Amino acid sequence: MIPFSLETILYTCAIGMVVIGVFGLVLSNHLLRMVLALSVAEAGGNLLVVLAGYRGGAIAPIIGYAAPGTLMVDPVPQALVLTSIVIGVGVEALAVAILIRVYRAYGSLDLRLLVERMQGDMAKAAGIPRTTSTHAPAGERPLPPIPVGARHQPDAVGHLAPEVQS
Amino acid sequence: MRNIASLVFSVGLAFLLLVIAAQLGFGHTPMVVGTDILAGAAQDVGAANIVTAIVFGYRGFDTLGEISILFAAATAAGLVLGHRRAGAADDPRGGLILGAGAELLFPMLVLVGIYIVIHGHLTPGGGFQGGVVLAAAFFVAVIAEPSKRVNHAAIQVIEGLAGAAYIVIGIWALVEDGSFLKPMLDHGVMGQLLSAGTMPLLSSAVGIKVGSELAGLLAHISESEAGEP
Amino acid sequence: MNSSALAWVVNPALPIVLPLLAAFLLGPVTRVSAFVGRLLGPLTLAICVWLIGELWLAHGGEPFAVAIGTFAAPLGIVLYVDRIALLFAAAVPIFALLFWPWEVSGERATRESALLLILVASATGLALSGDIFNIYVFYELVAVASFGLAASNATGQAYVATIRYLLQSATGSLLALIGIAILYLKTGTLTLAHLAELAPSTLHDPLGLAAFALLLIGFGVKAEMFPVNTWVPEVYATAPARVSALLAGLVSKLAVLVVVRLLVLVFNQPEASQLLLVLGALGMISGELSAWRARDFSRMLAFSSIGQLGMVFIAFALPGEIGVLAGLAVALHHLVLKSGLFALAARWGGSMEALAGLGRRSPLAGAIYVLFALSMIGVPPLPGFWAKLVVLVALAQQGPLELAAMGAILVVTAIEANYLFRLAVVLYRKGGAAAVPASGVPAPALGAGLVAPLLCLTLLAATVAIVPVTEGLRSVARQTVDVAGYVRTVFPSAQPPLARKEWP
Repeated sequence: MIPFSLETILYTCAIGMVVIGVFGLVLSNHLLRMVLALSVAEAGGNLLVVLAGYRGGAIAPIIGYAAPGTLMVDPVPQALVLTSIVIGVGVEALAVAILIRVYRAYGSLDLRLLVERMQGDMAKAAGIPRTTSTHAPAGERPLPPIPVGARHQPDAVGHLAPEVQS
Repeated sequence: MRNIASLVFSVGLAFLLLVIAAQLGFGHTPMVVGTDILAGAAQDVGAANIVTAIVFGYRGFDTLGEISILFAAATAAGLVLGHRRAGAADDPRGGLILGAGAELLFPMLVLVGIYIVIHGHLTPGGGFQGGVVLAAAFFVAVIAEPSKRVNHAAIQVIEGLAGAAYIVIGIWALVEDGSFLKPMLDHGVMGQLLSAGTMPLLSSAVGIKVGSELAGLLAHISESEAGEP
Repeated sequence: MNSSALAWVVNPALPIVLPLLAAFLLGPVTRVSAFVGRLLGPLTLAICVWLIGELWLAHGGEPFAVAIGTFAAPLGIVLYVDRIALLFAAAVPIFALLFWPWEVSGERATRESALLLILVASATGLALSGDIFNIYVFYELVAVASFGLAASNATGQAYVATIRYLLQSATGSLLALIGIAILYLKTGTLTLAHLAELAPSTLHDPLGLAAFALLLIGFGVKAEMFPVNTWVPEVYATAPARVSALLAGLVSKLAVLVVVRLLVLVFNQPEASQLLLVLGALGMISGELSAWRARDFSRMLAFSSIGQLGMVFIAFALPGEIGVLAGLAVALHHLVLKSGLFALAARWGGSMEALAGLGRRSPLAGAIYVLFALSMIGVPPLPGFWAKLVVLVALAQQGPLELAAMGAILVVTAIEANYLFRLAVVLYRKGGAAAVPASGVPAPALGAGLVAPLLCLTLLAATVAIVPVTEGLRSVARQTVDVAGYVRTVFPSAQPPLARKEWP
């Protein structure tokens, strides 16, 4: 029987956010969704750090609002989380900027397509022919290509020959 | 195959985190450092807000690293995004509601931002929180009127000088008293606006820097081309 | 320092803070005077080298700790300066000067120089810091600066490689943050010395091991550890070669230093060392096998870098002083070697077939490459041989797991010999000028530039002076594993620091 105390709910929320974020990050195929999932996961991680400082029945660590000697929560994790949130903001802003340039270069944010194009561009920049590609057909051509002049001539049965793609 | 491996990794991570959470004591943490900071912050730093006392006092070096991260992110984004696109001067205005709202919100957001920045050592707030509100004021202005040219040179100068001000205050403490980022100046009376020594100065420098940096970042993003490749 | 008026200069915070100041002011200064702006970066780096020399002279190799802002540890942040910290802190500005972007100009030059200065500042911070969250902040700063530098080639493939690197790095950092949260929850402190004191009673249980695993994955991204090293071949092949040199040579060593500090001070358990050993072995094997299959020079270097860093982790996983000595030897050797090879790659980028006959047309470059290759394989009397010998001898004295690792290293050496000599054969092939492929790939430049010969000379100097170098490294290793000395330096007063308090 899981006791539904405050502790369980808070920890479940924090860890749930981290898990949802990590799931989205590793299972997603679209770069923007991965950045958003990272954002959720970071929020969960920060929540986990803040929870590390909680004390039951204590007040916020500001002097002058309660009688001196009242129990206060741990201020150190809050300072750590301040730093961590700002770090997350910086990284995400930079990620969005890079995403804009990726879209401008390749016209898509689909990760599989982008990795394919990136590998192709890297090989071309180095002057190496690509031997492995998940998009290129494997094996030999089954039929010889149709010569250029023989276009739009229906054969004996009446089918048109297909356009030759040069 | 990749998805199966990722799924296994995520499930393993979830399981690990749940097990960890089950074993950690909640509300019974060993406050080794926290208790001593709570006891000593009033004398050491003189600020009423102990979290700000940690951010700009006890862990001021971390804060220096943090403003550098924002600076590095803004610089890298500027490096990546490049120039203003040609058609930006003809961007349509944001509409009646956005325009009227921006005119109302801009001065209020600036006021609230400045309030949060300079009261950081008295109430919850500080340089970062107030700086983000200041940046939000500029966000609203940029979104309402995207065709206005943002002066990136001025933003670069402001953020550079504000960051340098933070470090120069620290080096001044080093030269005067032999320790980098030591709290200088008189502590004053706790609870007054002019108290806690150099902390409001550090807080203001950070607020100006964060505000200008985030505003510049948004301006870069809104001005860059995302059109056809 | 003679004059006490300038005694404040000998402060370990300055080599961290001055490059940051220079980076902040680079924009405004360049607007006033472009000439001063171009010189500001290298000048700051030269001053940092001098400052670190002063730090060494001031204390003669004895460790000392400085509390930032006079907030004594563990309330505030301490900077801990010992020999290994100074060694790596000295390497940072020197290598940054070697790989400074002199050829870039204009607005891009200002931004790239600022990012490089920030990289220098945060890398120095990683070496000198004594507080786990401070290390995390500087680690993130290194990451953000490296994202910007990795994308500086402005090609589509560079952007895709950078965004994948960013996502992997950010995930690792999130896990490291959770690890730090667990550390704080168990011990209540963030200072490494205090953690070292409280570790035997609080962290030697499965929860502590879980925290170590999370921190290892987090800091292992930069250290090219298996399995978070998939970003390495893509980024090193698409970034400018000088950026790859800095990331592969310098930044990875600092990430390894962070892992070593955690291992030696806080997680001094056999399970943690075994985890590091297994991950190192897996990384080494996978890296070298991929290097064997690579067909362009930059990617071959990237995979071989993964392999060598796997060996570094195997070495550091050995207990005691001998482990740190072996790891330091391999790590420093790799620092010089990989930087030199990437400096060559700056002129030799591209397919290895295109390099045919280059060794005959430019004998110096060919000789430098062959020397580096021999040292990487481990041919006596080059330093690579001694480094590998120390690792193998240390491994032979341990249990069966380590003997398996020793076998793996020997197999890997054979693989390295194969692919390195394959390229050497191509370099010295007759009649190579006609074998340059079309498709607009620029022909490889002749000669070896300035940086590669410089690093080659360093390697030769180390060969000649191998005995004093080994003695020096031994003294560094002895100081590093002295946990009691570390705690004593940070907490000089006789009574123990704050004990663990339970909330009533």
